[in-house]
Amino acid sequence: MISFRNRLLGGCAAVLIALGFAAGGALAADVTQERLLNADQEAGNWILHHKDFSAHRYATLDQINAGTVKNLKVAWTVQLGGIEGGGIWSHGGLEGTPLAEDGFLYVTDGWGSVYKIDTHGGEGKLVWKMDPKTDHDWAGAIACCGVDNRGVALWGDMVVSHTLDGRLVATDKESGKVLWQRQIANPDKGEVVTGAPLVVKGMAITGVAGAEYGIRGWIAATDLKTHAEVWRTYTIPAKGEPGSDTWKDDHNAAANGGGSTWVTGSYDPSTNTIVWGVGNPGPDWDSAYRPGDNLYTDSSLAVDADTGRIKWHFQHTPNDPYDYDSVAENVLADVNGPHGAMKIALEADRNGIGYAVDRTTGKFIWATPFVKKLTWTKGVNPETGKPMEYDASKGQQIYNPEATPTRTNKVTIICPGNMGGKNWPPTAYNPKLQTWYIPVIESCNRVTVEETVPGKSYKSREFFTGGGPSNPIKITGSVTAIDAATGKITGKFETPFPMLGGLLATPDLVFAGQPDGHVMALDAKSLAKLWDFNTGGGVSAPPMTFSVDGKQYIALLVGQGGAWDKWFVDGTPELKKIAPSSTLYVFGL
Amino acid sequence: MRRDGNTRSSSLLVLGWFVVAALLAITGGMARAQPAAPGPVDLELGKKLYRANCAGCHKWHGNGGGGYGGDALSLRHTTLDRDQVITTIGCGRPGTGMPYHLRDAYEGDEKKCYGLGQKDLSPGMVLAANAFLRPGEIGVIADYVLARVKGRGEPGYDDCLEFFGAGSRVCNIFKSPVEGGPAAAPPGK
Repeated sequence: MISFRNRLLGGCAAVLIALGFAAGGALAADVTQERLLNADQEAGNWILHHKDFSAHRYATLDQINAGTVKNLKVAWTVQLGGIEGGGIWSHGGLEGTPLAEDGFLYVTDGWGSVYKIDTHGGEGKLVWKMDPKTDHDWAGAIACCGVDNRGVALWGDMVVSHTLDGRLVATDKESGKVLWQRQIANPDKGEVVTGAPLVVKGMAITGVAGAEYGIRGWIAATDLKTHAEVWRTYTIPAKGEPGSDTWKDDHNAAANGGGSTWVTGSYDPSTNTIVWGVGNPGPDWDSAYRPGDNLYTDSSLAVDADTGRIKWHFQHTPNDPYDYDSVAENVLADVNGPHGAMKIALEADRNGIGYAVDRTTGKFIWATPFVKKLTWTKGVNPETGKPMEYDASKGQQIYNPEATPTRTNKVTIICPGNMGGKNWPPTAYNPKLQTWYIPVIESCNRVTVEETVPGKSYKSREFFTGGGPSNPIKITGSVTAIDAATGKITGKFETPFPMLGGLLATPDLVFAGQPDGHVMALDAKSLAKLWDFNTGGGVSAPPMTFSVDGKQYIALLVGQGGAWDKWFVDGTPELKKIAPSSTLYVFGL
Repeated sequence: MRRDGNTRSSSLLVLGWFVVAALLAITGGMARAQPAAPGPVDLELGKKLYRANCAGCHKWHGNGGGGYGGDALSLRHTTLDRDQVITTIGCGRPGTGMPYHLRDAYEGDEKKCYGLGQKDLSPGMVLAANAFLRPGEIGVIADYVLARVKGRGEPGYDDCLEFFGAGSRVCNIFKSPVEGGPAAAPPGK
């Protein structure tokens, strides 16, 4: 006979198991490579920056669906910090994706403070805050594009994060105490770090920002056990290395050639390959200073996860005169279409064109302009994937001459504008529908070229851009859906403001935020708006979803981040009224 | 592909600025309802306002140059006098990225900026600042520019320290120029 106590315990265990399944994850387990490989199976958790190694930002949770989303409302909020300014910035902002594990959220503010929040019981309770004491002026004076930190990584019993002043910090997950830290980037050289780490096989992969300050970009791997650097792969090849012949100048432009890597990449375990986006060449707009294709700028770069060795690359805008970087995440997808089964990498480029390449070889498959107005090229060569006007025999590429900034065409309107197209805000991919959703900036802007002088123009910690943009033309946005198998656009939901925050996909919804504060849910197939809420603050961060106590929630950081309100707001003058803020919003049914 | 409109608008903007520059030469810029020169100059307030409103484009040292803030002119090399600096801050520079900081710069019938009103300007020809300034604040910034920026040579350690103060590594670059490789790792916990 089973005692009442035993029956009670058995019942509790059953409930816990049920909740565990509802939460979709092992309770209080260390984060391992095995768990990260199966992150998409932990339905209620979100333990990688892009949800899974493939960067799908797709969650299978479906309590909040097309039928119920109309009932979505604010469940609770938590006020965060990091709103103070530093360097050239008047305020910090929020661009991070919260991670969720077993009902606890891990979020960052722009200055790199990490917050652990207990979400059990229908409210958010701050467990601890780790303030890394970022040197505000040292980093803030050379952060081209805002005081930003896009989130943490989890490994073992640690929370792994970056700081704007270039450190990798390991924090004890339970206590919030700093376990160790290591300087990865050097702000004295114009380097800062804004992206979230990607942990692969016990290594934290770090990308760097600073192409506008003449850095030589890199991706670096740090062993989280020994704290030592395992490899560092420069995105601008050294003399004699493959690709170095694409820097054809006589004044070593490659030394300050840019090629930032400030957006978290993806990982293909089947080939042990990290795929990471590389940013623009420097100086941004004076392409005559750096004749040649300028590899590996504006490229998707595939590297061996163990060694950092470059396996393949695909360059989108050779000898870029526009600041059309390619730092965007590469979405790894297995699709079936008219060409049969394909293993592809998808990249929505700042140049306004979405690309699919074979992710095992880098071979071009398709390209589709996803912006309404694109003037810099006639299109993409369907054989090579290069812009139609690309001429390998020329050092300086002149695409559409009227829309190419040069030393003789010094003031030029370009479409898309230099912010894109699509900037860092991540796309989302619904594997069931084979549909890829892009957060679009529908823009044109004006570029003025300033001639760069060898030996004179470059100075440490100074802008090295060869000119600058201004924004006299109205800028809007859209969520654009593309069939990943064919590259065909299947829908476009136009928004009054540019998409500066990124997307989340669930089985039949797409979530997005706008810089005027509105958060919305769209139907995954029709892109019809099904729900909208005004947070009252600027949204510059991607939504994510998690479950706790058997209930699904949507979480989103609210607090205008990035460069928009400083450099680009003239294209959206209505946003001048949006005040800085720093809040975690959580929505539930 | 629609290119003609862009080129045309670009050309018009350039042409527009030449017209405005000519007007500036003729009219002397902002009608002379200038902020009076203050008594004691408040350079700390000027620095604070400069940092919040100007340093993004003209840089902390005022040398300007390229960047996401546009291709800003050097205030260290400027030949503008106090009134002209005030005019430029208040009225902006049409056709360029320099915005106007006076809320009513181009409103009303006064045409206080270059003899121009809103109706005389094509859309986007002159940009409004993210935050407007009071005339007195513009005067304080002008005083700061004249006292601490204009006419100074290349910025150095003392300039940097004067702007940022001690307590940050922001000025170390002037004492220890970087070579290759990342900085030494700081001590851990």
